[in-house]
Amino acid sequence: MIDRHSSARRCARICSAIGIAGVLLAALLPGSGTARAADQMRLLETGSSLLYPLFNLWVPAYSSSHPDVQITTQSTGSGTGISEAISGIAQVGASDAYMSNPQMHANRSMLNIPLAISSQMVNYNPGVNLPHQSIVPIHRTDGSGDTFIFTQYLAFSTPSWNQSIAYGTTVAWPAVSGGLGAEGNPGMVNASKTTPYSIAYIGISFKKATDAAGLGEAALQNRAGEFVLPTAATVQAAVRATAARTPADERISLIFAPGAQSYPIINYEYAIVNSRQPSRAQGTAVRQLLDWCINPRDGNAAHFMDAVGFVALPEAIAQLSRKQIAMIH
Amino acid sequence: MKFRAWLAILAGFLPASLVAVVAFLTAYSWPAIRFNGVNFIWHDVWNLGNLYADPVHVGGMPIQPGAHYGILFLIVGTLLTTAIALVLALPVGVGAAIFLAEATSGKLRIWLSSFVELLAAIPSVVFGLWGYVVLIPLLGRHVYPAMAKVLAVIPFFSGPPGSGYGLLTAGIVLSIMIVPLIAATLRDALVAQPKSLREAAMGMGATRFEAIWNVVLPGTYRVLIGATFLALGRALGETMAVLMVSGNALNYLPHNIYTPVSTMAAFVVSQLDSALQDPTGMAVRSLAEIALILCIISVIINGTARAMLWFWARSPQPGGA
Amino acid sequence: MSSTMPQSSLSAPAAARWLRRQRHLNFGRRLFSIAGWSMSALTLLLLAIVIVWILTIVLMRGWAAMHPSLFTTITQGNGGGLLNAIEGTFVLGIGSLALAVPLGVAAGVYASEYRFTRWSSAIRFLSEVLVGVPSIVLGYFGYVTMVEGLGWEFSVAAGSIVLGIICLPYICRTTELALRQVSDELREAAYALGASERHAILHVCLPAALPGILTGVMLALAISVGETAPLLYTAGWSNYLWDGRLTHSPIGYLTYAIWTFINEPFAAANALAYAAAFLLLLVVLGINILSRFVLSPRP
Repeated sequence: MIDRHSSARRCARICSAIGIAGVLLAALLPGSGTARAADQMRLLETGSSLLYPLFNLWVPAYSSSHPDVQITTQSTGSGTGISEAISGIAQVGASDAYMSNPQMHANRSMLNIPLAISSQMVNYNPGVNLPHQSIVPIHRTDGSGDTFIFTQYLAFSTPSWNQSIAYGTTVAWPAVSGGLGAEGNPGMVNASKTTPYSIAYIGISFKKATDAAGLGEAALQNRAGEFVLPTAATVQAAVRATAARTPADERISLIFAPGAQSYPIINYEYAIVNSRQPSRAQGTAVRQLLDWCINPRDGNAAHFMDAVGFVALPEAIAQLSRKQIAMIH
Repeated sequence: MKFRAWLAILAGFLPASLVAVVAFLTAYSWPAIRFNGVNFIWHDVWNLGNLYADPVHVGGMPIQPGAHYGILFLIVGTLLTTAIALVLALPVGVGAAIFLAEATSGKLRIWLSSFVELLAAIPSVVFGLWGYVVLIPLLGRHVYPAMAKVLAVIPFFSGPPGSGYGLLTAGIVLSIMIVPLIAATLRDALVAQPKSLREAAMGMGATRFEAIWNVVLPGTYRVLIGATFLALGRALGETMAVLMVSGNALNYLPHNIYTPVSTMAAFVVSQLDSALQDPTGMAVRSLAEIALILCIISVIINGTARAMLWFWARSPQPGGA
Repeated sequence: MSSTMPQSSLSAPAAARWLRRQRHLNFGRRLFSIAGWSMSALTLLLLAIVIVWILTIVLMRGWAAMHPSLFTTITQGNGGGLLNAIEGTFVLGIGSLALAVPLGVAAGVYASEYRFTRWSSAIRFLSEVLVGVPSIVLGYFGYVTMVEGLGWEFSVAAGSIVLGIICLPYICRTTELALRQVSDELREAAYALGASERHAILHVCLPAALPGILTGVMLALAISVGETAPLLYTAGWSNYLWDGRLTHSPIGYLTYAIWTFINEPFAAANALAYAAAFLLLLVVLGINILSRFVLSPRP
């Protein structure tokens, strides 16, 4: 009894000492660089899992030339990107979907700034020679820009879908028994991989993963009636057919573009940013980051775009984006 | 008395936080409660409406057109996964407890019991990791197709064996998580039964196992029921492990045991960022309503279990202490 | 099959009837006993196999993913190290204890020392009820009140407070049990020597109950570092080390790494997930084993 007490007392003293020392150390420890924490600008980029692989390539390149900025990237879904950009938790919200009219009315200082152009695949896990089995549709559970562009395609191409379900970052999918929900593009790849006879919509930046998993890619019927796969040529054809219509606030759908060679599901990858930043230093840091991202020599350079299967912004659109970026203060 | 007053105030933070959580959730979800009404529980469709259209006014509250919130599929999913978990965990828990209490003693019992209780220490997300990486491929590719063929006569076990994500997998993972609770509680209760019971039964000609099964174990029924309720409460609130293996079904009820399902707790986690897309805020409040219902159910079950155990500890039980 | 013994007390007539029916240890009864013991052993074996299976998979794959740079580099996108997550788990754990230990011990002390008052019964009952509230409900509460309502955004403060609320009832319960074990004679001796209530409780009873209280604190710590769902919505995630701010600054933690990175189809990310699971298991199991065998060996 006495032994246990003295050992307990010693244990208590040691643990409290470790705890207090540890917390003090953690609080005083500088960030990963040698600069003091107060000098480091920390930016949080959160949102689209479709843009996430590209941002993960951008951040190391950007940080090497801008060591005073620390950028955390997160793949949480476009819905979270939009809401955290609105509430200020994240400085850059990545989203495949532009904000809706009600959202813009409620938050008038928000900007939707395209950073690149991406597309989406429809993948299937075929089993053997399309046997007589139930198809398992897989949808996204999180608020997803991929859901937005896929349901827009369904809504624009199929009037009955438009009447009943329409489009959005979250929709009430029709009840198909056996249908799965997955979280994020990676979750879609995994779910599709393990589920025979499944169909899933997956962003183009995950093409390497879907190829590695042995998933098939479906050719989609475009507005002209042709069945096309998402290649650089078909995406560029769709861009040429639709980008000219882009308004100044750049909120526009590129879905179901006209043209025989156009791929029907392409979209702008948006950075959702609040034009009113809490401090001048933060506004400058965000502006510099976004300018770097859309610069055809930096973020929009060919090696970045090719790595994820995206297409660089046309010069006219980049100009519009630059004008919007200049509004951040 | 000053010291006692201070102590009482400090101690009061605990009940205060519970009251705060329930009160706040109720206040926050009140608009959703008014909008959804009782149909919340009967209807099967969770629909945020057309998020890209302008809000309309219903009953004085702005909502997106077409929005309608019903959680029947969640309630069914929660009840079924919990039921399966209990059906799997009770026999294993009782059997393990009997073995630990009666067939081992001294150091061996301590070591084996601690080993079983290690299971209770493993965090939920690690269970989810194991289920996602190991269990789902194994069940989906090998076990379920075989089961669907062999057990095809039983209606709920036949049909497409799915992909491994589903009701039975979630039930299995949940049962593994609640077994230690049942086994440890029952083992302590068995050990606490007076030796005279066992000896009397054996003195009358019963075998050792008969003595345990017919005399000692019935004396612990109350503790067993209490432990079952506690395990039930734990299974209801389990989030991460279920989220990773259940398949996240939306708006449909399971038609066989391999079908994907959703539970209330996992739904709240997976749908919060979708709900934040609703500019009118009704979706977030409806999620808060789900959290409130979950909280109330857990409080009722846990409170009942504690009250039972407390009450029975006071009144003498025939056949045992 | 053996018939059931009468549930009421072993009255002579009922026992005699039972004995007359079961006079001989016939084959049926023998079979039942053997089957019973076998089933019982089998269930324990099944449980043991499952435990070993889970631990082996996680520990083996986690060990394969371990390398020294995990402890020196921070997370970068889909790869890197776990330094930020380890530090964050540590900070959140200490933060939750900083909140839960004073309040929980106070509650436990009150419940034990004034145990016949109504306030004490209320505390005890509500504490048990609080254990049953799912952690996601508390996390949601934390998100709406602190992250959004008070405008703290993702922060150490919000995460610690929610974890603290989760730990409170466990610390209260173990403190009360530990204090109950302290013999009344010790208390009476203190009072007999003229100690005030405050002195008797704080300087005599609490030190005597210290091993039990410490056990409770460590077990609560193990629970709080294993939580995921409430932290997802209160602490957020950060790829960087903590900058010392209690609000407006998210922080990393090991359970997020497990939950997020196992989903990614990249080997580097999966390795991070396994490594985080390995470290987490070491911490949690280590705490459990330490408290069980060193601090309070069970009779």
